[in-house]
Amino acid sequence: MSTLSTRGLARLFLPNRVIRSSTALALVAFWMATVLTVWLLSPFASLPTPGEVWTALGALWWRHGMGPELFTTMKLILHALALTVAISMALSYATMIAFFRPLVAAVSKLRFLGLTGLVFPFTLVTGGGYSLKVALLTFGMTTFFVTSMAQVVLEIPRVAFDHMRVLGASERRIFWEVVVRGTLDRALDVLRQNAAIGWAMITMVEGISRAEGGIGAMILNQNKHFLLAEVYAILLVILVLGLLMDYGMGVLTDLLCPYGRLERVRR
Amino acid sequence: MTGEVLFSVREVSQKLGGAQILDRVSFDVHDRTRAGQTTGQIIGILGPSGVGKTRLIRIIAALDAPDSGSVVGIQGAPIEPGQVGVVFQDYPLLRHRTVRSNLEVAGIANGLSRAAAQGRAKKLLDLFRLGDRGSYYPAQLSGGQRQRVAIAQQIVCPKRLLLMDEPFSGLDPSALEEVMHLVVEVANMDELNTIGIVTHDIRAAMAVSDTLFMLGRDRTPDGKWLPGARIQETYDLVERGLAWRDDVMELPAFSSLEKEIRQKFKQL
Repeated sequence: MSTLSTRGLARLFLPNRVIRSSTALALVAFWMATVLTVWLLSPFASLPTPGEVWTALGALWWRHGMGPELFTTMKLILHALALTVAISMALSYATMIAFFRPLVAAVSKLRFLGLTGLVFPFTLVTGGGYSLKVALLTFGMTTFFVTSMAQVVLEIPRVAFDHMRVLGASERRIFWEVVVRGTLDRALDVLRQNAAIGWAMITMVEGISRAEGGIGAMILNQNKHFLLAEVYAILLVILVLGLLMDYGMGVLTDLLCPYGRLERVRR
Repeated sequence: MTGEVLFSVREVSQKLGGAQILDRVSFDVHDRTRAGQTTGQIIGILGPSGVGKTRLIRIIAALDAPDSGSVVGIQGAPIEPGQVGVVFQDYPLLRHRTVRSNLEVAGIANGLSRAAAQGRAKKLLDLFRLGDRGSYYPAQLSGGQRQRVAIAQQIVCPKRLLLMDEPFSGLDPSALEEVMHLVVEVANMDELNTIGIVTHDIRAAMAVSDTLFMLGRDRTPDGKWLPGARIQETYDLVERGLAWRDDVMELPAFSSLEKEIRQKFKQL
């Protein structure tokens, strides 16, 4: 028995070993407990304790209207995400057409630009306020989405197209089957990653026009007054929301594209 | 008996990145007839790895254009993409569709109505003993099952010429026998059907083919290879009494021809 346990424990430290899902859960619990312990025993006095963060969270939620602020942010992110998907998918699929390739490549390269210098031209175009925030967030996510998705499209092997050609399919059907439907699971995966990028950008984007509120504006206001417990409470909420969204998208991907999960190698 | 020419490869040459791959490859495939029996044609194109067999498949299937020469069908009609079926080496299938749906989409792509495509798919699933795999995705199939689906997909809308790239590679003896049987069965579905097996498996190709073409490069007197492969030998197995027989592999003539081809193969 003890030999088995030792072997089981050894597997956790060896490369390319498959572990049970219960073991995986235990590992997550172990790491969470470790992080919590490190936090509790932290020598930095200025770092708020978990208890202080929890109290700040309650105060933000019940007295400072965190709920409506969250709703404002969620609306902004989902709006921008919908626009990002529409624009990015169109651009990524356009890589199949030679005429559009330089345009797609240029959009992808724009990911190196920060948003700061772009506020002015975007304000001129959108008129500011909510539209400006949607435009900036959409721009930020689109540059990353297009980069990843165009790569997915470019990596489709030639034999996938030839296979459909010898079946007698028209180029339009080949595009639909091989490029659009054949990469749907990967597109949803890319979307998952880009939703996370959206959350990472939210503070900056909402900071541009704080009057309209949102969780990003809230965190900046708390940070200005050095209310660290409140800042960490908001960060925690963002993390939980982001993880929930990520999980939801994962479930959606498995529902819409069950074949994707079948192809993944279990490690 | 040998009838009309079903398709011809005429003086096909192709370069790839400056290197000559194929050099004036030419051969004809004739209709083989047997009294009272529907007999399709099975040709084997033999050649060592890297000699240009896959390149030749792509040209015959009109996926690539040759630098010079042509491939024509019955009465000299040019071949268009989609007229020649190809079972590629790794048996590509639409990963997002089930086995049944993979067959149906092949029918719909060729102009069949949805109902007709569904009917045809059902028939082929039964014929290829895949009836219980209809709702599976390609990722859930074994290599052998995947190969059968890939072949079935190519004959949802029957084509006169079906090329198979290395159909015998990596198969165990019983799977090999099964595939050989399947190839003969598909060929004999119609008198004008031709299956082209492109392989380096000499024995399996000899067992099912009626004609063998050997693709290879020439050598200089001091043994160096010259660029560009061409048809080095043609073996008419019908003439030699080595076609259309279940016991062909047990015949002494089969063994001696196999020996001869292996010797020749080593020099290619």
